[in-house]
Amino acid sequence: MLLSLNRMGPGRYALYSIGVLVALFLLFPILFIALLSFGSSQWLQFPPPGWTLKWYRDFFDDPRWIAAILTSLKVGLCVMALSIALGLPAAFALVRGSFPGRVALRAFFTSPMIVPIVILAIALYAVFLRLGLNGTFIGFVAAHLILALPFSIICIVNALEGFDEAIEKAAIVCGASKLEAICRITLPSIRLGIFAGALFSFLISWDEVVLGIFMASPSLQTLPVKMWTTLRQDLSPVIAAASTLLIVVTMAVMALAAFIRRRSEP
Amino acid sequence: MSSTAPVLVSIRDLVKRFGPTTAVDGVSLDVAQGEFLTFLGSSGSGKTTTLFIVAGFEDPTGGDVLIDGRSVLSVAPNKRNIGMVFQRYTLFPHLSVFDNVAFPLAVRRRPRHEIEQAVKETLALVRLEEFAARKPGQLSGGQQQRVALARALVYKPRILLMDEPLAALDKKLREEIQIEIRRIHRELGVTILYVTHDQEEALRLSDRIAVFSHGRVVQVGSGADLYERPADAFVAGFIGNSNFLPARVRGVDAERTAVELPNGAVVAGRTDSALASGGEASLMIRPEKLFLVNGRDAPDANYDCRVDVTLRDSTYLGDSLQREVVTPWGQCLMVRQTGDAEALSHAGTGAALTLCWHSGDARVFRKTAGSSAPRS
Ligand SMILES: Nc1ncnc2c1ncn2[C@@H]1O[C@H](COP(=O)(O)OP(=O)(O)O)[C@@H](O)[C@H]1O
Ligand SMILES: [Mg+2]
Repeated sequence: MLLSLNRMGPGRYALYSIGVLVALFLLFPILFIALLSFGSSQWLQFPPPGWTLKWYRDFFDDPRWIAAILTSLKVGLCVMALSIALGLPAAFALVRGSFPGRVALRAFFTSPMIVPIVILAIALYAVFLRLGLNGTFIGFVAAHLILALPFSIICIVNALEGFDEAIEKAAIVCGASKLEAICRITLPSIRLGIFAGALFSFLISWDEVVLGIFMASPSLQTLPVKMWTTLRQDLSPVIAAASTLLIVVTMAVMALAAFIRRRSEP
Repeated sequence: MSSTAPVLVSIRDLVKRFGPTTAVDGVSLDVAQGEFLTFLGSSGSGKTTTLFIVAGFEDPTGGDVLIDGRSVLSVAPNKRNIGMVFQRYTLFPHLSVFDNVAFPLAVRRRPRHEIEQAVKETLALVRLEEFAARKPGQLSGGQQQRVALARALVYKPRILLMDEPLAALDKKLREEIQIEIRRIHRELGVTILYVTHDQEEALRLSDRIAVFSHGRVVQVGSGADLYERPADAFVAGFIGNSNFLPARVRGVDAERTAVELPNGAVVAGRTDSALASGGEASLMIRPEKLFLVNGRDAPDANYDCRVDVTLRDSTYLGDSLQREVVTPWGQCLMVRQTGDAEALSHAGTGAALTLCWHSGDARVFRKTAGSSAPRS
């Protein structure tokens, strides 16, 4: 390697320090909120005068928080399933197809990543108002799906492009029908891309708040939306507990992704 | 393969166009049962496309493919019961070697004990029994292609297609696997259509070779046929080494065509096609059919053609002596001498010698673009 750390001499310690500082900078708010959620002070005093699990108890004793977390999980899982169910055929068409406008369509599929989310939220609000989807479960899923789909399509397209179609041909020559070859050979071979797309889709829905605020009704709120509305009323350490739980789930999903990746490497 | 074996695969007037390119341009071939037929040609000559049409991955623009006398064009590729080994590595990456080889039987819903038995036997055939539990990523390129061969043979297809399966391997490994392929062909009697751009590989493996050029089959025959009686300068240049001398046709009789070389010497060669007197032609002669002597005396009366040359270089190759000589018109020719080569071994660079050959060993071709085919 041209830029080898070992050949940089003392300069590398400067690099190490910068690395550690950046990591701390990124982690600090998360550590801060996690510590506060275990602190005994009502007023989010820092450093905490003592330690307690009271805020977590309050969180789990409140049916509205439980409802929010269940809604988030349900929406996330639905978004994940639909994002793969729609993303797979779309990716196959984009990679394998030879229809006119394929390249343009591919760019179009990634456009929700470019449009500012607030604009998307206002547009969806207007449309869903007509369709009567605001405040409904379907509305939530549809809105999050728009954000998640580009990610799952990109993940699957990349995996599919790295898969030699001759392998699928080999399966067909062996006697498998096209469908059988895709299900038994191609899909298992690109499973890492599919998993990555699924996990991304879940996470995008799991911590999405802007679209959620527009979609939510008093009786249907995802966890981030519930946190947002609670925050506007009072600043309670229960919010810190909710934040910590949100982050823990996110980290668990990321760890799962890393685990799957490591396991499937030969 | 004896010519009495029945025809198994018949390719008739096959044409395949991709937009403006004509990949296959009227190929007709009959392949006998149990035959090893090789498509030999440079890259882009339509070999893979022809093979893919036989496999069913491409539909021809025109023509037909018959197996056992019946057209298979309407048969889906997974129903043709043909085995195939591809140029690239195509093992299923997530399955073990055993499961890769078992796959064709699994999709045929064979009972488990039968699958196990067949996979074991086939892995033994390619000498990879002890690798059954490995994943493809843990195998070398040569091993992967042997597993691919086992996967293509395990369901006992009558026809095996191989598209440059050894192209990515180094020379030594290639030769090892060529020997394996020959043995397997002998043991199983399966009909093989093999694609390669390597003339040595084609000669080593095949019963017959079909030489491809620009989507056409230029000549079909055994290796000896192609070497001894090439149909044109392209085939002569592709199979083995050859010298091409520019020549003008002087006279044609039943057996020999007399041609005049650029220095005015009149020599002769055999020809199959009718040539017009006075026309431009090309005289082809193999390096080992040329003989160098001191003075004007040929070793025997059969060497009826002569040209004065200057020795430029000699290379000792153990079993032969390779010499480069320059003709009066400045062309460099290759001469390979075996056996009694010592007579001239003292001749140094610049020595004036006489090059002679037997007119029956030379061939006269019509002048074509192919007559400048590179020596391989
Ligand atoms: N799918 C395709 N689309 C367009 N052109 C193709 C396609 N497949 C092959 N060709 C063209 O057809 C010609 C023959 O190709 P191929 O059969 O692969 O040659 P070979 O196997 O002898 O190298 C080439 O000019 C190639 O570019
Ligand atoms: Mg090819």
